[in-house]
Amino acid sequence: MTNTPINKEKTLYQYKLIVLFTVFSFSLSSCVTARIEDNRVGNTGLEEGEGVVILAKSYHLGNDTETDFIKCVSSNISKGASRIRVVPTNNFKDLLFPWFEPRTVPSDTKSLTTLMARKQVSDVFRNQNLRYIIWLDGNTDSSGGGGSMSCAIGPTGGGCFGFAWWQNDSNYEATIWDVQDIKNEGNISAEFSGTSFMPAIVIPIPLFARTQAKACKGLSDQLKIFIAG
Amino acid sequence: MNVKYISTIALLAIFYGCSTQVKIDNPNIPKLLINQAPFSVAIKYPDNFNNFLHEEKVIGKKSWQVDFTSSNRLLFNEIFQSFFEQVTVMENSEDNIYENFNFTIMPSIDAIEFSVPEQSQDETFSVWIRYRVKIFDFTGMEIINWPISAYGKTSTTTFSDDKDLANAAILAMRDAAALIVLQLEKTNKLSSSTQQVKIK
Repeated sequence: MTNTPINKEKTLYQYKLIVLFTVFSFSLSSCVTARIEDNRVGNTGLEEGEGVVILAKSYHLGNDTETDFIKCVSSNISKGASRIRVVPTNNFKDLLFPWFEPRTVPSDTKSLTTLMARKQVSDVFRNQNLRYIIWLDGNTDSSGGGGSMSCAIGPTGGGCFGFAWWQNDSNYEATIWDVQDIKNEGNISAEFSGTSFMPAIVIPIPLFARTQAKACKGLSDQLKIFIAG
Repeated sequence: MNVKYISTIALLAIFYGCSTQVKIDNPNIPKLLINQAPFSVAIKYPDNFNNFLHEEKVIGKKSWQVDFTSSNRLLFNEIFQSFFEQVTVMENSEDNIYENFNFTIMPSIDAIEFSVPEQSQDETFSVWIRYRVKIFDFTGMEIINWPISAYGKTSTTTFSDDKDLANAAILAMRDAAALIVLQLEKTNKLSSSTQQVKIK
């Protein structure tokens, strides 16, 4: 059987349909409930050229904040209308090595005062023109799933049938320290939760609750407002 | 002939599927931000520091091989060159070196362990490295024998199992550097054993 132009067109059309369906199904998402609260202690604000650094609280203290989440918040707050200069986390840690490693990182502003008494450390902060340290704590968990789905494949094709769901919870907290005055300026907490669904009649259609992405966006926007004062 | 090729490819595929090799060429340990101590030291590394290899089989799953190459040497060179004013790495283990330096340092590895997501039931790789640091004074007497228990942890990223484990190992090495610096700054054994002798 030869591959006629009509057959080719038909195959191309089928491929386009599959791609379109895949893009469509992945762009669907289920509902997410959100709660963002900020607790301001002092006055904030940024002068020309001043920047911030975003760090995860130490995993020695049981914190599991994902590296991707830190990258996402850093990227979001350094973009847009009221963008803030962000010193890359790894550059900052290398410049101050070994004083911001999970074992040595200051756990409170009193420890930061002790650390800043080292001339080399305070020089780095001054040279980098760093005003705030933003500490991130928390993570995203999947839990409480249910349902069942079975898939089969045979000589004539394959498919899935069933329904599954699971719960996504993203709970994060950002604590803002002013490096100039060495004091805690407050914190912002973000709680995002939603249920992801996956119905399947031949083809599974994932309806993800993108709680982490939404928590990143919500927390970043709130951080910009908080730091601007 | 074809059967031979096919079976070789199948065997290779099976072995590839059952074992993952992770190589750490250079942990890129940055210069340490500390004040230097005015001592001259010699470092003697064990032979396995040139090509340290750790292999572990996850029960019922694939085996992992972590090739540290000479990264442990690079780590300790950076720590001690940052901390002491004069550092000499002794390549010949036969040398009687103690009397020529304030201190002689002998680091070694006691144990390495790691866990992968299949074991820990979460999306993280963890690495534990237990180093041992022995420091001898200029008479050859052992004045310090510290176990250094270092820990590194990374979250998983898509399609990068081997890189994630390597990153956790590098974090453990950085943790070791932090712990050694804290111990060195805290101890008074170095200054007390060189009350009369400064740089030799």
